[in-house]
Amino acid sequence: MSDADIESQTLNRRAFFLAAGGLAAFTALGSRLYYLQVIRSEDYRVLSDKNRFNYNIVIPSRGRIFDRYGAPLAINKQNYRVVIVPEQVKNIEQTLDNIEKTIPLRTATRKRILKDIRENAGFIPVLVDENLAWNSFAAINLKTPELAGVMPEVGEGRYYPNKGLFAHTLGYVGRAGPRDVKADPDPLLRQPTFRVGKTGVEATVDKRLRGSSGRLKVEVNAVGRIVREWPDPKDRAQAGEDVYLTLDANLQRRAAELFEDDSGGAVVIDVLTGELRTLLSMPTFDGNLFVTGLTREDMVRMNSDEKRPQFNKVIGGGYPPASTFKMAVMLAGLKTGIINPYEQITCRGKVPLGNRMFHCWRPRGHGPMNLRDSLKNSCDVYYYEMSQRIGISNIAAIARQLGLGQRYDFGVSGQTLGIVPDEEWKRKRLSQGWRMGDTFNAAIGQGFVLASPLQLAVMTARIANGRAAVTPYLVIDEAVPEFEPLGIDTEHLAMIKDAMWSVCEEPGGTAYRPNGLGIKGLQMAGKTGTGQVRGISKSERLTGVLNNQNLPWELRDHSIFVGYAPFDKPRFAAAVIVEHGGSGAGRAANIVRGLLQRALERDGLSEKQETRKTSEREGQEL
Amino acid sequence: MLRDQSVGPTISKLYEINWLLITFIYLLGMIGVAMIYAATDGVWSHGAVQHLIRMAFSGGLLVFVAMIDVKVWYNLSYLVYLFALILLFFVDIFGITVNGSQRWLDLGFMRLQPSEFMKLALVLAMARYYHDLPAWRVSKFTGVLGAILIIALPVQFILRQPDLGTTLLVAATGLVVVFLAGINWRVIAIAIGSAIVFVPLFIKFGLKEYQRSRILTFLDPSRDPTGASYHITQSKIALGSGGVSGKGFMNGTQRQLEWVPENRTDFIFTVIGEEFGLVGGFITMSIYAALIGLCIWLALQCKNMFSQLLILGLTTTFALYVFINLGMVMGLLPVVGVPLPLISYGGTVILTVMTSFGLIMACHLHRNSELPRGGGR
Repeated sequence: MSDADIESQTLNRRAFFLAAGGLAAFTALGSRLYYLQVIRSEDYRVLSDKNRFNYNIVIPSRGRIFDRYGAPLAINKQNYRVVIVPEQVKNIEQTLDNIEKTIPLRTATRKRILKDIRENAGFIPVLVDENLAWNSFAAINLKTPELAGVMPEVGEGRYYPNKGLFAHTLGYVGRAGPRDVKADPDPLLRQPTFRVGKTGVEATVDKRLRGSSGRLKVEVNAVGRIVREWPDPKDRAQAGEDVYLTLDANLQRRAAELFEDDSGGAVVIDVLTGELRTLLSMPTFDGNLFVTGLTREDMVRMNSDEKRPQFNKVIGGGYPPASTFKMAVMLAGLKTGIINPYEQITCRGKVPLGNRMFHCWRPRGHGPMNLRDSLKNSCDVYYYEMSQRIGISNIAAIARQLGLGQRYDFGVSGQTLGIVPDEEWKRKRLSQGWRMGDTFNAAIGQGFVLASPLQLAVMTARIANGRAAVTPYLVIDEAVPEFEPLGIDTEHLAMIKDAMWSVCEEPGGTAYRPNGLGIKGLQMAGKTGTGQVRGISKSERLTGVLNNQNLPWELRDHSIFVGYAPFDKPRFAAAVIVEHGGSGAGRAANIVRGLLQRALERDGLSEKQETRKTSEREGQEL
Repeated sequence: MLRDQSVGPTISKLYEINWLLITFIYLLGMIGVAMIYAATDGVWSHGAVQHLIRMAFSGGLLVFVAMIDVKVWYNLSYLVYLFALILLFFVDIFGITVNGSQRWLDLGFMRLQPSEFMKLALVLAMARYYHDLPAWRVSKFTGVLGAILIIALPVQFILRQPDLGTTLLVAATGLVVVFLAGINWRVIAIAIGSAIVFVPLFIKFGLKEYQRSRILTFLDPSRDPTGASYHITQSKIALGSGGVSGKGFMNGTQRQLEWVPENRTDFIFTVIGEEFGLVGGFITMSIYAALIGLCIWLALQCKNMFSQLLILGLTTTFALYVFINLGMVMGLLPVVGVPLPLISYGGTVILTVMTSFGLIMACHLHRNSELPRGGGR
C-alpha cells in the first residue's frame, strides 16, 4: 500500500468520525428541541402568556349628579392625562426631564410624583399630569416611543358644569388620602387616578357614585406598552349610580343672581315634602379647581377673602335670627296662655331693666301694640315685655319644636347646631346663671340665639305646614323622611300666619310691597330680621345710631328674611340671610320674594310670565 | 465526449454542478426570507428583501468561485491566508469599534469584517499545509508546530477584538482539519489533557468581563434573570410555547411582542420554533443535516488531499455555525454572537458561507484534478 493510500484511508476514517460527530450533535439538538417543545411545552406556554398578558384595573365611571329635572350638576369629562409606570422606567429623573420638555411640571408636582412612586408598588401607574390641553397630549403621544413606561391615557375627570353654583352642597372629589385608604379596603382607592368624594354630597353618597372596578386583559410587549386589549364583558367596570337631588338648578341660579356680590345663604324648601329646592351659600368657589388641583394663588385668594367663599354658610353659619325668632316667642306665649292676643302693650321705644335700658328698633316707639301689630311692625318692646312673663324655658321649647338647635341628616355635613339658649345651656356652657336681660335679648333673636339659614327655613316650613315637623330632604332615593307631628295648636299657628301675612301684604308691614309676590292671586307671608353684629353704646344712641351705609362692611347688620307662599295654601318656604346686608326689609326680603316667585312659576302654580310683568308695571305705577 | 467539445469546458462544468447542494442551500435561504419577514412583523423592506437579493447575488458568486480550477485555489491559498492575516493586523490598529468590539475595517464604501474572511483563509492554508506535508511528519513536532502556528496567528488577533464566538469557531475548525489530516491519537490525548488544565485558567484570566459573565450565566441562569440570561429564558419560552405544530406563521406572540431580542439575526430559530413548532424545527435541522452530509460525501469523492481537507474544513465551519447557534438558542450553550447560516439576516455571513460552498463546489467539479504532492520535502 502506498503512502497516499494509507493517507486516504486515514482520512476516510476520520471523515467518518466527523460525520458521526455531526450526527451526534444533531441528535442532541433534536432531543433538546423535543424536550422544550413537547415535554415542557405546557410550562413554556404558560410563561409565554404571562409575558403576553397583564390585567389592568379599570376605573369605573363615577355616577353623575343631576338636579330634580335632570339638569347636570356633576358629570365626567374626558381628561387627557399622562401616567408613568415606575417599574418600566430606568431613570425616573431623566424621564421626568424629558416629559418636562413637552409638559411643564411644577416643582410641587414633581415632588408629588416622586413621592407617589416611592409609596406605591412599581406596577401601579402614577399620575404625572392631567387635564392636559389637546396639543400637549398629542405632543407627548408622539414622544412615547422614547419614553419607556410613560403612558398617555384618556381618562375621566369630574366636572361641575355650573362651576361654583352647587359647590358647597356637592362638595368635590380628590385623591384618596391615607386615612381613606386605611378605612376602606377597596383596591380602587389605591389607584392614583381614582377619585373619591371629599366633601358634600360627593362624600356622603360616595359609595353609590363609585361603582365597582373592572379589569382589562391587555397584551403587552417587552417594554410594557399595551399592544392590544382583550376586553371581556364579564370583567367590565360597573359605572357608579347616577344620583338625583331635589334641587332645582334654575332656582338656585336665580338665588345666586339675586345675591349678586353679597355674602350669605339662601334656602328654598318644599313645605309639604321637605325637599330642598335651593341650598346656596354665597359667595361660592369653583369646585373644578379642587378637581384639577388648587394652585397656591387660588388658595391664598380664597383664604384671604373676607366673605369666606369656602365656608358653607347656609348650613354651617350660625347667625342671630333676630326678629324672625319672634314667632317662637309668640307661639310660646299662646301655648302657655300667657299672651292674650288682644292685650295691648304700649311701646315707648325703650324698656328699663334694672339699670340697663332695652331699646326698640324704632327709637320713638310704636305706641300700643297687640300681638298681630307687634309682629307686623316688629316691635321689640312688646317681646321684651312678653318674654319676661313667658320665661326662657317655654320659648326655648317651642324654638326646638320649630326645628332650631338641631342638625338634619340629609347628606351634607358641616351643619351648625345653632344655639337655642336656656338656663341649663348657660350654666353648662358659660357656668353662669340666667339673667332677665338674657331673656330680653333672646326674645328678639339676639344675644345667645344662633341659627343657620337652613334652620330658619325649616322653622318657616313647619309654621307654614302647620301639622308636620318638616325635615329637609336632598338626595332623591335616600330614605324619605317621615315627619313627626308638629304638636303646635293650629289656631295659634293661624294667628301667627295671619300676622306674618300682614308683614308682607298689609300696608305698614315691615316687608310690605303692593302685590308683593308679583303673581296675580297669590300672596305671601314672612318675617324680617336685622341681625345686629355690634353693641350700640349709650353715646351713640344719644348722637343718633349710625346708619348702616356709614359703617364698614363687617360691622353692618345681617339682613334676614323668612317667608312662605302661597299664603292660603303654603307650598314653598324660604329663608335668606345676607351677611352685613343692612335692614331686613331690604336685601333679604327681596331675595326671598324673588325666589318664591320663581319657585311657584317653575312649579306651575302661577300663570305665565306675562301676568307677572303686567303686575310689576302696576306695582310701579302705584 | 461530444458535449464537452461542442459547448466548451465552462458550460460542461455548469452541467456538472451538484444541483442537490444548490437546492438545499436555497431551501434554507427561502426559510430565511420567510422568517425574517415574520420577525420584522411582515415588513418586506426590513430585511426579507435584502436577504432575498443577497441570496440571489451570492449564488452568482458561488458559481463563479466554483468555475475556478482547484489548482488556482491551491496556489493562492497561502497568499489568501497572508492577506487575511494582514487585514486582521490592520483591524487591530485601525479598526472601528462597534458595541465595544473592534471587528471592522472601514474601507469608505463598505465595512469589512476580516475575521469572517479568515474563516475561509485558514481552511485554505491548513488544507494546503497538510496537502504538502508528508504523512509521516504530521504527528512530528515540527509538523504539529507548523499547524499550530497557522491556527494561532489569526486566533490571537480575533480574540483581541474581542470576538469569542469567531475565535472558538476558527480555532475549532483548524483543529478539526488537524484531526482529519491524520494526527496521531497520542498527540490528541496530550492536547486534550493540556486543554483540561489550561482552559479554566484561560477563562479566569484571558476573557473580558462580559464574556466571563455569559459563560457563568449559562452555567447558572438564575444569576441574572433580566440581564444576560434573559435572552436564553425568553428564547426557550418562545420555542417551548410553540409546541409540536407551532402557533402558525406570523402568529408568534413572543415574536410579535418583541420578547426575544435579535430574532431577525442570531435568534431567528426562535421564530421558526414558535411559529412552526417542533415540525418546523425538525425540517430545518434535517435540511442542515442533509447539506452537511452531502458535503462530507462530496469530500470523499475527491482524489486529492487538498480538496478533501478543504471541503471537510469548510463544512466543519458551517456545521459549527449551525450547532453553536442552535445550541445557544435552545439554552445548551452560552450566548455567543453566532448567526444561523443562510437563515439569519446579515450580509457578511452569506458572503462567507456562499464562497465556502463555491470552494466546495470547485473541489467537486475538479475532483479528478491531480495536484503536485510535496513528497519528500
